[in-house]
Amino acid sequence: MANLSLKHIYKVYPNGAKAVNDFNMQIADKEFIVFVGPSGCGKSTTLRMIAGLEEITAGELMIGDTVVNGMEPKDRDIAMVFQNYALYPHMTIFENIAFGLRMRKIPDVKRDKEGNPVLDKDGREIPVMRRYNKQELTAKVNEAAEILGITEYLKRKPKEMSGGQRQRVALGRAIVRHPKVMLLDEPLSNLDAKLRTQMRSEIVKLHKKLQTTFIYVTHDQVEAMTMGTRIVVMKDGFVKQIDTPKNLYRYPANKFVAGFIGTPQMNFFQGTLKKEGDEVVIAFKWSDAKITVPYSMLMKTTPQYLDGTKTVYIGFRAEDVSLDEEQVKASKAKIKVRISHSEELGTETLVYGDINMNGDGFEETNTRVIIKSAGFKEYQPDAVYEAALNLEAIHLFDLDTEESIMPRIPEYNYLDCTVREGNLTFLGNTVSLPDAVACGDGKGELLIPVSAVGFGGAVKANVIGCEEINGRFLVSLDVNGGRLYALSDEVREKGETTIGLDFKKLIVKVGGTEVSPMPLVNALSGTFVAEKRKIDGAKETHYYFSINGTKVEVPAEVYRKMFAATSGRKVYNSVYRYEWDPYGLAVAESGIEAEAVETLDYGEEKFLKCKAGEETLYVKCERPMSGKVYLAPDAGKVSVVESERQIRIV
Amino acid sequence: MKAIAKCKNFFKTLSEKLKALPKKLSARFAGAKEILSQGNGKVTASMAVMGLGQLLYRQWAKGAMFLFVQIAFVTYFILTGATDLFGFFTLGTREGNAWYGVEGDNSVVMLIMGILAIFMIVLYIAIYIANVKDAYRIQCAVDTLKEPAAFREEAGALLDKSFHKTALALPVIGVCVFSILPIVFMILIAFTNYGDTIVPPALVSWVGLENFRKILTLGQFAPTFFKIFGWNMLWAVMSTALNYLAGLGLALLLNKACVKGKAIWRAFPILAYAIPGFITLLGFKFMFSYGGPINYYIQQGGGEAVGFLGLDAKWSARFIGLGVNAWISIPSTMLLATGILSNVNTDLYEAARVDGASAWKQFIKITLPYVLFATTPVLITQFIGNFNNFGIFYFLRDGLNIDGYFLASDTDLLINWLYRMSIDNNYYSIGAAISLVIFIITSVISLAVYVLSPSYKQEETFR
Amino acid sequence: MNQAKMKVAKAKTQKVLNILITYCILVVVAFVFFFPCMWLVLASFSKSGSIYSFDGFFPAEYGFDAFRTLFTDTVMYDYPKWFLNTLFIASMSCIIGTVLTILTAYCMSRFRFKSRKAMMKTTLVLGMFPSFMGTIAVYLMMTQFNLINQHWGLILIYSAQAPMGYMVQKGFFDTIPYSIDEAARIDGASNFTVFVKFILPLSKPILVYTALTAFTWPWSDFILPKMLLIDKNLYTVAVGLMSLGETEFARFAAGSIFIAIPIIVLYFCLVKYMINGMAAGAVKE
Repeated sequence: MANLSLKHIYKVYPNGAKAVNDFNMQIADKEFIVFVGPSGCGKSTTLRMIAGLEEITAGELMIGDTVVNGMEPKDRDIAMVFQNYALYPHMTIFENIAFGLRMRKIPDVKRDKEGNPVLDKDGREIPVMRRYNKQELTAKVNEAAEILGITEYLKRKPKEMSGGQRQRVALGRAIVRHPKVMLLDEPLSNLDAKLRTQMRSEIVKLHKKLQTTFIYVTHDQVEAMTMGTRIVVMKDGFVKQIDTPKNLYRYPANKFVAGFIGTPQMNFFQGTLKKEGDEVVIAFKWSDAKITVPYSMLMKTTPQYLDGTKTVYIGFRAEDVSLDEEQVKASKAKIKVRISHSEELGTETLVYGDINMNGDGFEETNTRVIIKSAGFKEYQPDAVYEAALNLEAIHLFDLDTEESIMPRIPEYNYLDCTVREGNLTFLGNTVSLPDAVACGDGKGELLIPVSAVGFGGAVKANVIGCEEINGRFLVSLDVNGGRLYALSDEVREKGETTIGLDFKKLIVKVGGTEVSPMPLVNALSGTFVAEKRKIDGAKETHYYFSINGTKVEVPAEVYRKMFAATSGRKVYNSVYRYEWDPYGLAVAESGIEAEAVETLDYGEEKFLKCKAGEETLYVKCERPMSGKVYLAPDAGKVSVVESERQIRIV
Repeated sequence: MKAIAKCKNFFKTLSEKLKALPKKLSARFAGAKEILSQGNGKVTASMAVMGLGQLLYRQWAKGAMFLFVQIAFVTYFILTGATDLFGFFTLGTREGNAWYGVEGDNSVVMLIMGILAIFMIVLYIAIYIANVKDAYRIQCAVDTLKEPAAFREEAGALLDKSFHKTALALPVIGVCVFSILPIVFMILIAFTNYGDTIVPPALVSWVGLENFRKILTLGQFAPTFFKIFGWNMLWAVMSTALNYLAGLGLALLLNKACVKGKAIWRAFPILAYAIPGFITLLGFKFMFSYGGPINYYIQQGGGEAVGFLGLDAKWSARFIGLGVNAWISIPSTMLLATGILSNVNTDLYEAARVDGASAWKQFIKITLPYVLFATTPVLITQFIGNFNNFGIFYFLRDGLNIDGYFLASDTDLLINWLYRMSIDNNYYSIGAAISLVIFIITSVISLAVYVLSPSYKQEETFR
Repeated sequence: MNQAKMKVAKAKTQKVLNILITYCILVVVAFVFFFPCMWLVLASFSKSGSIYSFDGFFPAEYGFDAFRTLFTDTVMYDYPKWFLNTLFIASMSCIIGTVLTILTAYCMSRFRFKSRKAMMKTTLVLGMFPSFMGTIAVYLMMTQFNLINQHWGLILIYSAQAPMGYMVQKGFFDTIPYSIDEAARIDGASNFTVFVKFILPLSKPILVYTALTAFTWPWSDFILPKMLLIDKNLYTVAVGLMSLGETEFARFAAGSIFIAIPIIVLYFCLVKYMINGMAAGAVKE
């Protein structure tokens, strides 16, 4: 019955090991969130930080509207189910469930022996805290027991019960208090396979019934996929992706998620992509297989991967490779597979093979392929078959970073362009470039970030598609036959519209020169100080960022966050990196001293490039300036990173 | 070879730890540095007068408590502490003389009170540091706009978050006063000339390593020491081996599938285990005495009464001791081995039987390694227990002085000698020095065994 | 066929022989352990009392005189008083010592405080010193505190030294899963509540073991009482029985039986706990 907010949550152990890195997530009320990942990925640590069993090193954790960092577990109004159930062995099931209630006090009013409220002399009820009485206790325990079907076992001790029943008791103990959040730490991993499936659906049912926020930790991706409304995939303390099960499956953001979600594991090959006209040729490594894909399918792919030299990972799920003869016949994307063996699972057969004719098909390599085929069909070992690939479902990942190279929201639109006398021509449109984007004449490349395409402008476009991705909308636009992606906060209907470009985000590569976008982050390092002042006899404390000897007064909400994120007087002893966007700093009469280097004129907006010490800053300004300037930061818009531990605290 | 490598490894980690020490120390004192450089006036006030900072921060109850500690300590120090501390170094200056009615200083009491004074000072310093830290903590909370913990909350935490402080207070005080203080006292006594003729009212003084020199070189002590030490080692090895093997054998015997009525058979050794040791020992002493039943039968058979435990019964007394010790100790080893054997994975035996291993092979290859592994720490404690086995010869042959030995008999262990020297004959300082020697021997042996044992490696893995 | 039969027959004889030898050893062992006890019991029924009037192991004449004098002839040797003294000292030490030991072990097992490792190492080192090394200091301190010749002095020493042997108990607590503590904390219990309501009820075997060891030590110790108790009326049984000579052998035997029986009964009732406790301590130590 509460939403959760995790902002920049870190867990750093005294030896410096980071168990959880910059965990950010908003959890809505009644969601069923699953944390999944291999052991040691930090999922349990995160859960235990939410529970209060583990201290939060930095960051802000809110349950409902309260910041609960440093609050005792019992005061957080959460309940937790443990992997080994953690039932109290010496207590009956009834006592196990009732214990949490017995420990708690509930608000009530003072009553006499008959239960009528006692009034004070003004005729008001007197509020008191009291414990649950016996009837209330029994009623509540029975209610919980009934939900879980363990009413008949209430008098037993835990050791007289089976694993599944014990798990139910553990759940009962958690739900009896009607907590704001239910935390479940691998609750099913001690059960056998059959019971696990059964309990899985019961927990889902329970979630529907209770209408409470659930956070569930598991290492089993099947559990995650079947139970969660949203899944957090973690690895080595980092969040790899947060999304719905469907989206995780269809649009894995990186190779780890792609391989972790789904059984059998996704097939990964290595190969190169080469764009030839409207087609892209994919050449597989360790095999002479080559397939051609229409470029329209790989529109979102970053072009630098398409020159035929960079090796990438190519992923296909087992169900997207087919040995079905008709499909193979109809398909354009065929690949030769040498069959090694197959596993019959009843409804389907998993066929193992290798696209490398010398591969054995057993070892997990970058040429091994697993193919899901319906029904029972015999495949001759060592025979070579043709398999059809479903190009709609291709996944491509960078070889080193393993991030997807065709993300759902592409970073840039890659276009050809020409520049002539300060006019930029792309996709048949010509716009005049502002002074800041100064480049010579010639033909070249234009990179437009999707966020730089704004609606309402001089360029005519046609909306041809609009898809919702994590609350935002990716709009596909047709501009004179060329494709352009734009990001929008609202739904865009299909049809004509106009767009404009945000020039300060563009990258233009023309005639050997490259105009880079204006950096959006101004970083300054400094410290945090407090000063006491006497105003009208009353002492007041003011808090400042001290940057290059200049003090910037800090508003309450920011310093409170900084205090919350640090222990002791560490806040005064640390070096911070303060970051502002160009709008967060303003040229003013006084402030941080800087040397104006250049004024960048983007037409509607002007920015001042200046140097403060070692750092280069970009600041919004009204008119061109030079020489010494003073920059007044807006302390309310700051984002603060503690330098020593590299932890973002605001 | 493996043992040498292990030792090398041990010393390597030791040297690494030593190298990391300066860093560790500076990290230790980082907190103090921070307080000194950042503490505000109120913290300084607490440094000057305990509790003052807390009072200035309006934490009345806590401030008052710290203030009270300071007042109490200062009072104690002025009244007795200072003189006690002074006395610790001088060990008394005025010799008492009953003739002239002069009441002199009692060096030994002064020593013990001096140690107590040092303990008090250490305790006071600890509270003082806690006081400064607490003031700084309040400052930190105030400076970062956090609510400093109320006294009530902190008191409540003594049953929750800091329950260990409440729970450990009494045990720690008890151990400090009744275990640590006496040991410190005895260690210090080893460096004085306390004992023999120099007992109060005579004044005791510090003599450095003189006592150790005496033990190792002086004609009076040295031969006795080395003779006893040799026998002591022999005794510890023999009795430990005997008890261990016999106890294990008995446990295995009782573990055999063909033995019916295990509980009854086991009852006999447990009976022996349950009887208080001194009864057993006195009983055996009677049994082997001149008028005892053994000698009765010898005389009945026409022989002459034998002094099994008499003056010149060196080896017979030693063997009787070994046997009696076995009688007392085997049952406990048996119980322990029974407990451990019940934990052995039975699958291993089945696998071995399928492989065709004989019973003896199974014992050598499965049982023995497992039991050895599990009982290494116990083996060490048993060895040390036997090395310091006071009771056996104290009861069997107490009070004999044998030629060639100084205040000892040929069966006495170091610990018996120590007892005779210090408690029966007032050679306190020599006794204390012997204690230290015993400590060094036992700790070196146990450290060596510990380092070589398989349990050593696993010690580092923590929960 | 024949050979196989022979093999089976041979195996059978071997088996019989094996059983026979096993039982022979067992009988010998039982005799070795039982006989001295038997002898003491027989001796206590001796009429004359002196060891010199025995026919070997067997008293010349039987009677209950030893028991009678044990409880009635209290002028020289006040056995009933000694017995009560011992019972008092042992019980009090047992209660206080058990509480302190259990608390220490619980803290060492469940809390991670700064000085924890240092404390554990200190106790380990202290254990290496000869057991009564500090006895003289204790004696001197007791004279200073005016606790010489008083039972409470002994109780104080026994109880205060008991927590030193907390390792076995800590090993036991370590086996109780942490998640139970955590579940209880989430349910709203404080650490004190966790200790009282969860750890203690789950630790019955180790409580029994601790209490038993804390009881038997003062029950049969003789060094401390001998040193600290001067008044014969305050003696414990151990010190008292030691003062008996060879001529009072029957009385010694009778007294021994009375002091041994409670312990023997306790041991037999609790032998299961003992084995478990010892094994747990051995593996964890």
